[in-house]
Amino acid sequence: MAQNKTQMTQERITDSDGVAVESALVGEDLSLSYPTTEETIVECARLDIPQNAVTALVGPNGSGKSTLLKSLSNHLEPERGTVRIHGKELDTFDRKELARELGVLSQENDSLGSITVEDLIYHGRYPHRGFFDSVSEEDHAAVERALELAGIEDLRDAELGQLSGGQKQLAWIAMVLAQDTDVLLLDEPTTFLDVHHQFRVLETIRQLNEEKGVTVAVILHDIAQAARFADYLVAMHDGELYDWGPPEEVVTEQLLADVFGVEATVQHEPELQVLPRRALPER
Amino acid sequence: MVEAQSVGEHAATRDREGWVTGTLVLFCLASTIITVVAGLVQVTFGEYSMTFVEAWSAVFEPTVLFNLEAWSSFLFGTELPEMSTDSVVVWNLRLPRVFVAIIAGATLAISGAIFQAVTRNELASPFVLGVSSGAGFAVLATLVVFTGLAPYLPLIAALGGTVAFLVVYGIAWKGGTSPVRLVLAGVIVNMVFQSLQQGLFFFVDDLGVAQTAIAWLTGSFTGTGWGEVRIALIPGIAAIAIALASSRQLNVLLLGETTAKSLGMRVERVRFFLSGIAILAASVAIAVAGIVSFFGLVVPHIVRNVVGGDYRQLMVGCLFAGPALMVTADVGARLALGGMQMPVGVVTGLVGGPYFLYLMRKQQSMGEL
Repeated sequence: MAQNKTQMTQERITDSDGVAVESALVGEDLSLSYPTTEETIVECARLDIPQNAVTALVGPNGSGKSTLLKSLSNHLEPERGTVRIHGKELDTFDRKELARELGVLSQENDSLGSITVEDLIYHGRYPHRGFFDSVSEEDHAAVERALELAGIEDLRDAELGQLSGGQKQLAWIAMVLAQDTDVLLLDEPTTFLDVHHQFRVLETIRQLNEEKGVTVAVILHDIAQAARFADYLVAMHDGELYDWGPPEEVVTEQLLADVFGVEATVQHEPELQVLPRRALPER
Repeated sequence: MVEAQSVGEHAATRDREGWVTGTLVLFCLASTIITVVAGLVQVTFGEYSMTFVEAWSAVFEPTVLFNLEAWSSFLFGTELPEMSTDSVVVWNLRLPRVFVAIIAGATLAISGAIFQAVTRNELASPFVLGVSSGAGFAVLATLVVFTGLAPYLPLIAALGGTVAFLVVYGIAWKGGTSPVRLVLAGVIVNMVFQSLQQGLFFFVDDLGVAQTAIAWLTGSFTGTGWGEVRIALIPGIAAIAIALASSRQLNVLLLGETTAKSLGMRVERVRFFLSGIAILAASVAIAVAGIVSFFGLVVPHIVRNVVGGDYRQLMVGCLFAGPALMVTADVGARLALGGMQMPVGVVTGLVGGPYFLYLMRKQQSMGEL
């Protein structure tokens, strides 16, 4: 663990060939806590979200993933440290300006049940529209693209309240897609969804990344899924970064024991696979 | 190219008609008819009796309708030109009361709709954030203690409401506000101001003052004229125009604070600004009619039930339904008991309360928007 920490401060994140990767989002020397409590929730010397890649944040409940994501999206002012997007500090952005660079989908979304999917997605255009602006051609095109990417064109006129949890999540994701940002942060988009919708959400993210080079940071609670899906993993434990890098390097039986407290088998052939066996006794 | 054109067409139709649904148009039309009919009843009946035809022809009397002098008298308070008794009764006594009711109805309904979105609570109303009790206390204090300030009563009422709201906002503020904290602070501030009001009543020694005070505290259009129209017209129109333009902001606010923030909205600032507009709207109504209970709470509900929760529709619906209901309620207040006039707030309370209970029983979920 201590070794990991020193590594973290000294090295940039590298891809499988050992070449340094450009980062879209960088958090430096972060110390995060909520205004209502004294306790520091996350301490992190450096966090990189590599450009044009999908990074998954993994870790057990309460390890500080969501808190970290909140600070990356300027929803939580760090007590110490800075977050930069494409080299510019978040603080220097106007709110709307930031919302054009960075899309965020938080974990819990509640809204009027009576809003239609299309209307919801149009709200994703908010940062692109002035107070008196009406819907422009560009807005319309972005909404159509988002509907198509999320594969929910047929739900266009459905009311949100009538949809299943999975369909709702796809609608919310489409709203963030309509925001048309280079960087996307998603907090547990697949939790509570059935397998079919989990895959549809992940495929939408993957497609977005491949077709448009969007940088994605996503919190996934299923380490096995994250290992198969993401280009990079960031594993968190007790408010600190345990390890990060490509899944083949990060996912080890040691990590599963230390971070998740499970005994598991990790297979590398034919592809990376995590097979959890049993819970380890609490230490 | 062809595709782009068809996309463009779709966007254009959406812009024009996307939210203007048939239901909304019908609803507004029906509200307008109710407003006109109730208004006509109001100008026809009373101590100086007329037939419908007489009243109708007096309303559309061309010598008044196209008389600049008359309008300048109405709107700027200059001397009233010579006209027939019918015209004087209709144009100078009864019609302005209808106009005041229209303005108060529209502003209260819109104010309620805004507060319900800002606090994301269906049970919010212009008065839940302390506006009503603050204004009431200010009115009472003026009538009882600072009698010299009585001519500025409308202004003072609005001021009292604003101060109370600022106190509520100040209490609820803790590095930001939340809907729940706002409502809680509102309830508490309401209680304090109501106790103060009740305390002040002990110092009233004149029955006339007590009656004036009660009329203010329950809301009444008795004795309103062009003077009240002049007070309310411009701030009323301004508040309504800004509120209508803000309906998209309200819709985004309803997506929840986190989402609104993610979309680039400065939530605190927008919330405060919109609350300010809602207070302005409520103050307009309070200044001319006193505190009409239940109105700002119930009307947005009725409209939401009919046209849906989209604020672009809801606001327009409120703009039409508010006047319809207020003018109708005032007809009841003025004419129901024959010779005696009730405060309109009594009517809205008596009708609005049970209707609200009915809504609560009928709807599965209520409270959170």
